[in-house]
Order: sequence, then C-alpha cells, then structure tokens
Amino acid sequence: MGKRFGVHSNVWAVVIAIAAILAVPALVTAQTTSGVAGNKDKGAAPKKTWVSRTADGQPDLQGYWTSLSFTAMERPAKYGNREFLTDEEAAQIHKEGIQHSYEFTFNDLAETPVYDATVYALSAWQEGVAPNRRTSLVVDPPDGRIPPLTPEAAKVREAARKAGPNQDYADPNAPVKADVAEDLNLGERCLSFGGPPILPGAYNSNFQIVQGTGYVMIEYEWNNEIRIIPLDGRPQLSQGLHRWHGNSRGHWEGNTLVVETSNFRPGATFQGANAKTLKMTEYFTRTDQNTIEYKFTIDDPSTWTRPWSAIVPLSHMQGPIPEYDCSENNNDAVNILAGARATEKAAAEKAKNISLR
Amino acid sequence: MKVTVLVLLVAVCAPIVVQAQSTPQQPLARTASAAAKIPAPGEFPPYKPPRTADGKPDFNGIWQSFVTADIDVRDHDAQPGPHPDVMGAYGAWPGGQGIVEGGEIPYKPEALAQKKANAEKRMVINITSDDRRHETGDPELKCYRPGIPRANYEPFPFQIIQSTDNIVMVYEFEHALRTIYMKEDKETPKDPPADSWMGWSHGHFEGDTLVIDSTGFVPYTWFDRAGDYHSDALHVVERYNLVSPYHIMYEATIEDPNVFTRPWKVSFPLYRRMEKNIQLVDFDCVEFVEKMLYGPYYKNSSK
Repeated sequence: MGKRFGVHSNVWAVVIAIAAILAVPALVTAQTTSGVAGNKDKGAAPKKTWVSRTADGQPDLQGYWTSLSFTAMERPAKYGNREFLTDEEAAQIHKEGIQHSYEFTFNDLAETPVYDATVYALSAWQEGVAPNRRTSLVVDPPDGRIPPLTPEAAKVREAARKAGPNQDYADPNAPVKADVAEDLNLGERCLSFGGPPILPGAYNSNFQIVQGTGYVMIEYEWNNEIRIIPLDGRPQLSQGLHRWHGNSRGHWEGNTLVVETSNFRPGATFQGANAKTLKMTEYFTRTDQNTIEYKFTIDDPSTWTRPWSAIVPLSHMQGPIPEYDCSENNNDAVNILAGARATEKAAAEKAKNISLR
Repeated sequence: MKVTVLVLLVAVCAPIVVQAQSTPQQPLARTASAAAKIPAPGEFPPYKPPRTADGKPDFNGIWQSFVTADIDVRDHDAQPGPHPDVMGAYGAWPGGQGIVEGGEIPYKPEALAQKKANAEKRMVINITSDDRRHETGDPELKCYRPGIPRANYEPFPFQIIQSTDNIVMVYEFEHALRTIYMKEDKETPKDPPADSWMGWSHGHFEGDTLVIDSTGFVPYTWFDRAGDYHSDALHVVERYNLVSPYHIMYEATIEDPNVFTRPWKVSFPLYRRMEKNIQLVDFDCVEFVEKMLYGPYYKNSSK
C-alpha cells in the first residue's frame, strides 16, 4: 500500500512544490502590501518586508550582518520631536560618519599590530553602513530618549560609578585599579562584550545568522559569543540558570522573528539592568536583500520608569566571521595587571629614595 | 484575490509535502523490529537517516561523546588527578579504552619525546603577553579552545545547527564554535585566510556521510591531557555517519607530517542528548582560570 500511495504523494509533492515556487513572488507581494500580517503587536513589524525562504520555509535571515551605525542612540536635542532626517541631513550624517570612522582607524596606528586599528578595526567605511533616516536609534518613548531610571536604579548606578574605575559608568579620569583580574571589565577579561541587545559599537559589530531545523543561531564577532534560539515553543529556563547573554526563546510572527530573553546573569546586563527583572524582546524583519530591521524592547520596571524600544538597521556585509581568540591571547589582562604592579613598584622606589634623601 | 488563493493553497498543502517527503523513512519501522534484541556494541543495523528540507541527512541536534579520550586518547588506567589531598574523588580521572585505531599514535621519535615532556608539564602555567604563554600547560587547563577533534570528545555537549550553505557546531566548553562551509566561494575559499584554534573547515556529503576537511590550525592545541599534540601542519578529515536516530558514528583521520610518520585515525560514537527541552548552557571557564593564569600579576602575589 505504501508504495502506491508513495508514488502518488511524490507526484503530488512535485506539483505542490512547483505551485509553491510559482506562488512565492505573489506571496511576497501580498505580505508587502498587508505589512503586519499575522503580527499581534501592531507596529512591531516594518511596513516593507522582503522574503526569501530557507529550504524548510522560514523567512531567511541568514548571512553576515553588521550593526555599525552613525545614528546616535538617543536623539540629539536639536531635532526635538523630529523622528526622521531629510535626505540631505541623512546624507550629510552618513558622510561625516564615514569620515570619523576613517579618522578613527588611521589615528589609531600603533607600533604593534595587536593595537593597530588598521589591522583590527574593519571599520564602517569598509563594511558598508547603510544611511539611516532616523534621528535616533531609540524610537519609543517618542522623544527618542531612554526613559529616566527608577530611584533605586539611580542609586545602584551611582554606587557602580564609585565602586570600580574600570567598570561601566566609572569616572574615566579615576586612577586605574587592577589589583586582581576581577577589577578589569568584562570585555578586558574576555567574559562578555555585552548584548543582547544588538547595538552598534565603534567597530567589529558583526554577526552571523544561521538557521537550522528548529533553531536560529546568532554569532557575534566580538569573542565569538553565541546565542542559540529554539523555535519550538518550549518554556523558559527556571531562575536556577543564568546566562551571560540571557536565555532566549523565539517564534515567528508573520515574517518577523520574535525573540524573548530573560535569565540574565547579575553583573552582565545591558546598562546595569536588574538581572532578575530584565526582559528583552527582539524583532528581526528582513526589509530588503541587504537589510534586517532589528527592533528591541527593554522592559525592566526596577531599572527604567517605563519600557523603551530602539530600531537598529542591520546591513549585509561580506563574510566570513573570523575566529576571535580572546582569552587564548589576552594581552590586555597581562599588560594591565603587570602595568599596575610596575606603577606601584616605581612609586614605592620613589618614596624610598625620597625618605633616604 | 488570486494572491489569497495561492497563499491558501500553499498553506493547505504544506502538511502534504511533509508527509510525502517522509515516505522514504518507511524502512525505519522494519529496522526497529529487527533490532528487538540487545544490539552488539559497535554494530548498528542498516539505517536511513531523516532528511533536512533540502534533502541532506539531518545532523541537527545536541550531541555528546562518552569516551574518556579527553584524558588520554590511548588506553589508560584511572588516576588520582591533581591534588587528591583536597580534591578526593571529585578530582580523580576515570580509566578507559582508547579511541585510536590500532592503539598507538605513530609519532616521529623526536615528537614522542615532546609528547612526554608535554605530559610532564601539563600543569605548568606561565602566562606572558606573547606566544610563550602557549609553550607549557594543557590548553584545556587554561580554558583555551580545544581544537579538532578534541572538542568532539571533551565531556561536554555540543550542538549542530545545519543549514544549506553552512553547518555550525557550537561547543558548550568555552562556547567554542566552528563554521563548516559547504561551498567554496570568494568569502570562504578553500585555503584558510588565517590560522585558528578551531581550524578552517569545508564540508561535503559522500552519500549520507558528512565529510569535513579542516586545516589552518594554530600549533597550540593538544589532543588530550596526556600531552598528545600536533603542529600547524595538522590536517583533519572527519566523517559523520548517522547510524540510528540517537547515534552518529564519528571518525577522524589525523595527518601531520611534522609530528607523525603516517596518518592515524580515531573513532567513537556520539550520542544524541534526549532530555526533554535539552539545551546548551554556559561553561565559560575563562572566569574560573583567571587566578591560575594571571595570579602572578596580582597585587601582593608572591612573584
């Protein structure tokens, strides 16, 4: 019985496959015009979408992407409530950004290739950042600014500012404290370069996305940090497990990949948010062949007075993502600690010479 | 209107497509009943693996080996491990049968001496801000990326994420990652653009076997805690065969004319992790080795 049915269903499968192939352009058009088809959160998905599909029918987000951007996180005051730039302004900011990026690279030449920006910083002008017409990455609240901290969070941040000079929010002019490795920041220790969310850095803000059956994997170039996002609707981990980049669960809403993340590790959260209460939702939508519109919403009522959202365009870039062997050759850790010891030794000898005089 | 009809047609037909594609799996049922006796270890009844949507054997999943080759790829007795005075049974290392075909590694005489010296110095750590840091100490002890094939028999799970152009293997140990490029092109040429810890890999299918060819390795990784090592001329050819829904037979041929007199082979099964909702978690041992690595540079250290 199986055989006869098999033949029939195989023939049928071919017919359907051809129909599906023929239908794809129509499908795209349909979704382009309807925009938010299947999307619960109105306005979460961009109006324009571009769909190519993986072999198993998922919208295809695969490839190499960069989040490099010349757009400020928070809206500069001069734009007031203006959400978008004029074409001329956008072109000008793009031009200035490329110039700045070029200068950054060539002003950071160094004796050793390890610290030479022309070697390590494949910067924006090389990677091809697309112009962005937004006046800020933050899109909600409507003023384009991250909402105020709660009073408790403000206290925590003030304490962090005083605690460790190498840590986030520290006074940049404070003397370096490097008694033990824990005094260095997470990047210097090769433990985490942050994220989610995906934001632009000065350079190397590059990603690879690979989709396997039931999973999406995001690899960050920095430290080759990896997020594996299951799509099977499984429950979130219990609060007994914590992860450097939080623990993610994903699903598709129309052509948008929605990723919900919690179970962050205390001390390794975005802007020092509360690891226990921080929830992040990310939306990945391919808007054309070379762009993913990436939106994230941060909800942490113990840190910010209201949830807030930002949109970062991810631009297609040339691959591959190289191996980032951070801890294997962590010269920073050795040099910062050894430098601090050398400084102490020099100070002690100076003090000895003064007392001998 | 016409658009809507087509959309509906595709949506309605999708389950049928899936069904149709699963018909080649029917021999599975026969295999299962034939295997109703206890299987002999090392032998698997004939098996046709499930396919990905693009028709390749589907290796997606979380896998782990259960050999003790990370301690020594050859046959070895149980050992007390370092500091049994404080570590007790926590720190003891199990004995086990080796994974090397024929039992012995064909070292060149001078290379065998280096292997023995490595074993003696496996816990000697001297971290500098240059490549001398790699001269002593098992890289695994320092939480460095394990290289290939060691990553596949460390006692940690790894996940295969298989797509059409790339297959990614993510290892729980230090979130080590390798991307296997399934095609050669301008972005991913055959020759490695730079040496790396996890190598530069291209893959292809020979029948249902996933064959991965890797070169471009740094000379710093070891094969085990017994000091077995290689140079930057290492060339590894791996063969992955799905032999049941729950097993991959894994085989790696190791070639390095600077160190070995001929190619040699390791093989062992990988087991699919079947716990409900299994996932990789973090084993970022970098934070666990800081004091060992950088302690001599700490304030008030004895150095």
